[in-house]
Amino acid sequence: MTHNSITTRRRLIKGGLAVAASIATPAILRAQGRRDLSILTWAGHADPDVIGAFEETHNVRIRAKEYVGGDQMLAQMAQSPAGTYDLILSDAEYVVQLQQAGFIEPLAPEDYPFDDFFPEFQNFRGHWFDGQPYAVFLRFGFLGLSHNRTAMSEAEARSYRTMWEPRHQGRIGHFDWHLPNLGTLSLLNGNPSPFDLDEAHWADLTGTMMSLRPQVRGFYDYGGMLSALRSGEVSAIPGIGDWITGVLARDGADVTTTIPEEGGLQWTESLSIGARSGNQDLARSFIQYMLSPEGQVKTATLKAYPAMIPTRAGWAKLNDELPGEARRQNMALNGPNALDEIRAGRIRLRELPVQQSLEIWNDAWTRYKNA
Amino acid sequence: MPPHLKHALPIAFWVAGLALVFILLYAPILSAVLFSFSADRFPSLSMSGFSTQWYAQVLTDRAMLEALWNSLTVAGFTALIATALGFAAAYADYRFRFFGQKAVLALALLPPTVPLVILGLAMLAFFSRIGIAGTLAAVVAAHVVIAAPFAMAVCRLRLAQLDRTLETAAQNLGAPPHSALGRIVLPHTVPAILAAFLITFAVSFDEYVISWFTGGLNQTIPVAVLTTLQGQVDPTIHVIGTLSFTVTLTLVLIALAVVLRQSGGAMSKEETS
Amino acid sequence: MNSPALPARTSGRRLPFLFRRTWPALWILPMPVWLLLFFAVPLGLLVAISFWSVVNYRLTPDATLAAWRHVLGLDFLWASFWRSYGLSMASAVVISLLAFPASYAMAFVAAPRQRLILLGLAIAPFFTSYLVRIYSWQVFLTEGGVISSIVQAFGGKGDSLLNTYFALFLGHATLALPVVLILQTIALANVDRTGISAAANLGARPRAILFRVILPAARPGLTLGLLFAFLLSYAEFVSASYLGGGAFQTLPILVTDLVRAGQQWPRAAVVSLLMIASLLVTAFVTVLWAYREKG
Repeated sequence: MTHNSITTRRRLIKGGLAVAASIATPAILRAQGRRDLSILTWAGHADPDVIGAFEETHNVRIRAKEYVGGDQMLAQMAQSPAGTYDLILSDAEYVVQLQQAGFIEPLAPEDYPFDDFFPEFQNFRGHWFDGQPYAVFLRFGFLGLSHNRTAMSEAEARSYRTMWEPRHQGRIGHFDWHLPNLGTLSLLNGNPSPFDLDEAHWADLTGTMMSLRPQVRGFYDYGGMLSALRSGEVSAIPGIGDWITGVLARDGADVTTTIPEEGGLQWTESLSIGARSGNQDLARSFIQYMLSPEGQVKTATLKAYPAMIPTRAGWAKLNDELPGEARRQNMALNGPNALDEIRAGRIRLRELPVQQSLEIWNDAWTRYKNA
Repeated sequence: MPPHLKHALPIAFWVAGLALVFILLYAPILSAVLFSFSADRFPSLSMSGFSTQWYAQVLTDRAMLEALWNSLTVAGFTALIATALGFAAAYADYRFRFFGQKAVLALALLPPTVPLVILGLAMLAFFSRIGIAGTLAAVVAAHVVIAAPFAMAVCRLRLAQLDRTLETAAQNLGAPPHSALGRIVLPHTVPAILAAFLITFAVSFDEYVISWFTGGLNQTIPVAVLTTLQGQVDPTIHVIGTLSFTVTLTLVLIALAVVLRQSGGAMSKEETS
Repeated sequence: MNSPALPARTSGRRLPFLFRRTWPALWILPMPVWLLLFFAVPLGLLVAISFWSVVNYRLTPDATLAAWRHVLGLDFLWASFWRSYGLSMASAVVISLLAFPASYAMAFVAAPRQRLILLGLAIAPFFTSYLVRIYSWQVFLTEGGVISSIVQAFGGKGDSLLNTYFALFLGHATLALPVVLILQTIALANVDRTGISAAANLGARPRAILFRVILPAARPGLTLGLLFAFLLSYAEFVSASYLGGGAFQTLPILVTDLVRAGQQWPRAAVVSLLMIASLLVTAFVTVLWAYREKG
C-alpha cells in the first residue's frame, strides 16, 4: 500500500511537472515561425489599427505590455530580466531616467529620419547623451487649462488665475501627477523656465499651489478625468490637454483645452530600444515604421488619445488624408499652426526639476494632496 | 431555525435586509449589462442608441481572447492548489497538535494583509531572481499565496463544527487515519471545499495588481480591463464585465444544480435534527 | 477529552511506521512550505528593500535607514494612517451590520435549497471583474446620474455623490460584501439547532435566543467576516481613487505616491511594513477574540 501510494504520488508529481512546464513555457516558444516583438507601452498604442500593417509586412507578432504610470514602467524594467522588452514607449522625462538607469540602448542617428523633423524636435532635450540618441521623438501635445465649456468659457480660461474664482470652488480637478500641475502653476507665477527654480521661487510656487487647495474637488487618473470633465463634476483641470479633451470632444462632449496667456507645457512620447534586446533589428524597423508618414498619421489619430507629430512628411500626409483632424489639432501646413506657439515662446517643455530633486517636488505634491 | 420558533424581528425585516444587499450587489452589474449595449463611448443616462459594436470589438480581439484563456488557466490552477493547501492546513490544525501550530496560522493570515502593489513588486523581484518572472506559473504561485488563506478560513469554519472525538473514536475502533478522513471528515467538509474552490477561483480570476507585475507579457482579463480603464475608457469594459458575469453565473448555477441533486441530504441534515 | 496529540494510537500497530509518521506531515507541511517559499521570501526581500537606496532611479542593495527616517519623519504620515484605519474599520462595521440581516435571512428564513441558491447568487458578483463594478458605480453617483436624478425628482438638490465617504464605502462594500455574506451565513447556518430548540423549550424569548444563543455561537464566523471586510477595505485603492476621487488620502495611495519620487520603493516598502504591522495586530486580536474558548 505504501509502495502503491508512492508510485501514484510519483505519477502525480510527473503529471504535475508536465502541466507546470506547459504553463510555465512562455507563449513565445509555442508560436510557429513568426517572430515576437515585445513592447512596454502606455495603454492604447498596440491598437491593431496602428500595428496591424507592421505585423503583416514583417511576419511578426507584437506583444504589448501596457502600463499605466511611468513609475510602474520603470519598476517593471528594473525587476524584469534584461532583454524582456524590445521596445519602450515612454514620456520624455522617463527617457532620462531610463538612460541613467541603463535600461535602454544607444541608437544610430542615421537609422531614423531626424532630417525630416521640424527643427525644434531635432536634437531633442533629454534624448541625446554624448552625441548619441537614446530615444526617438514620436508624438507630442500641449498642456494648458482643460475646461468644460458650460462651466468655464475660453475667455475665462485665458488665465490660470480663473481657477481661484469663488464660483469654481470645489470644481477644480487635478491630474494626479506633480510635474504638469506644478509646471503650469510655475508658469502662472511668471517663471520663464518653469522647472528651473531657485529656493525663493520654489517656495513661492508651493505657496501658490497651497492657496488653490480649497478649490479642489479631487485627484484623478486618465479614466477619472474623462468622466469628471465630461459630466461637469469639475469645471477645469490644469496641466492636461487635448489628450483628454480631444478624446471627449470626439465623443461630442462640450470640452476644450485653452493655452492661457501665461503659457503652456509640452508633453512628449518617445520610443527606445530595451537594453540587451534580442530583436534589435525588428525594434529598429518598428521605430522606422512609426516614423514613416503612415505610422505618424496613425499615432496622430490614436483612439486612446490623439497627439501632434514631429515629422514634415507626417504632417503632409495628415493634411492630405484627414484635413479636418489636421485643422482640429492645429497642424495645418499652410497658415498658423502649433509650431507658431512654440516659436512664440508660449510653450515650455515638461521636464524634471532642475534645482530641486524629484522627491522634493513629489513630497510637496503629496503634502498638497494630504492638506 | 426550527419552524415552530419565532424570529426576534418579523420575517419581513430579514427579507428586506436580504433584498437591500442584493440590490447593492447587482446594481453595478445591471448597469454594466445595460451600458455594454450603449452606442456611446461614455455611460450616461441619456443613452443615444443601442449597439453591439463593443461586443464585436471584444470578441474579435485576439489579445482579449488570449487574456481570457490566461485568466482561466491561472484561476483554475490557483483554485486547485489553494483549495488543497487550504483544506490540508485546516485539517492539520483541527486534527493534530504540532510544534509551531500557532505560527502556521499566523503565517497564513499574513498574505491578505500586505498591500498588493508592494507585494506585486516584491514577488516580481523574487521571481526574476529564480527565473520564472513573466510566466503564468509565477502568477499561479503568487495567487495561491493570497487565495489559500481564504480556503483555509472557510474549511476551518466548517471543521470547527465537527465533533473532534468522532474521528478519534473511529480510529480507536481500528479505522486507519485516512479512512476516518474519507468517511467522516471529507463528507462533512464537501460544501466548504466547494465554496473554497469557488472563492479562490474568484480571487485569482479577479486579481490584477500582482498579475500585472509578475505576468510579464501574459495578460489576464482584469489586467486588460485595468489598462482599458486607464488608457482607453470605452464600453468594452462593460462588455467584459457582462460576459464574465454571464459565464460565472452559469457556472455557479450548474454547480448548484449538481450540489442540490447529489447531496440533497448533506446541507439539510441539520434542519431535520 | 482525548488528546489528539497521538493520532492513530491503536491502528499504529497495524500500519507501517513510516506511514504513521508521514501522515500528519502530509497535512501539516504543504501550506507553510508554499507560504515560506512564495510569500515569506518575497516578504523578506521587501524588508530588505526598505534598507536599500535608490541610485540613478535604480534600486540598489544597501544598508541605510534613510527610507525609514524619511517616512517616519513625514508630518502627515500618522494623519494618513489613522484616516486609513478609521475609514476601513467604519466600512467593515457597517458592511457587517448591513450583511447580517441578509445572512440571517439566508440561514434561518430560507429553506436549505433556497439558501444554497441565494448563496450562489451572492457570490456570483464576486467573479465579475471588481474594476468593472467600481467603474459602473460612477454612473449612479455622478452629477446627473441615477441617484442624483432620483433625488432631484423628489425635489432635492441632487449633488454628485462622488468624492464622498459614501462613495468610498460603496466601493468597500462592493469588494467585501460577498465574502462577509458567505462567512456570516455559514456561521449562522451551522449554529447547533438543538441548542436553539432547547433554549426555546426553556422559555427563552426570541430576542434572548438571538443574543444569548445564536450570536455567541456564530461569533467566530461573524468576527472573521468583520476582519476580512477590514483587511479588504484597508488595502483597497481602486475605489479610493475612482469613487473617492483621491480626496481620501489613505495609506495604499501614499504607497503609490511615494514611488513617484523617482522609484522610491524603499519608502513605499516602509509604509507597507507599517500597514502590515498594524493589520497583523488587528488580525491577531480579532482572531484571538473570535476563537476564545466559550465561557
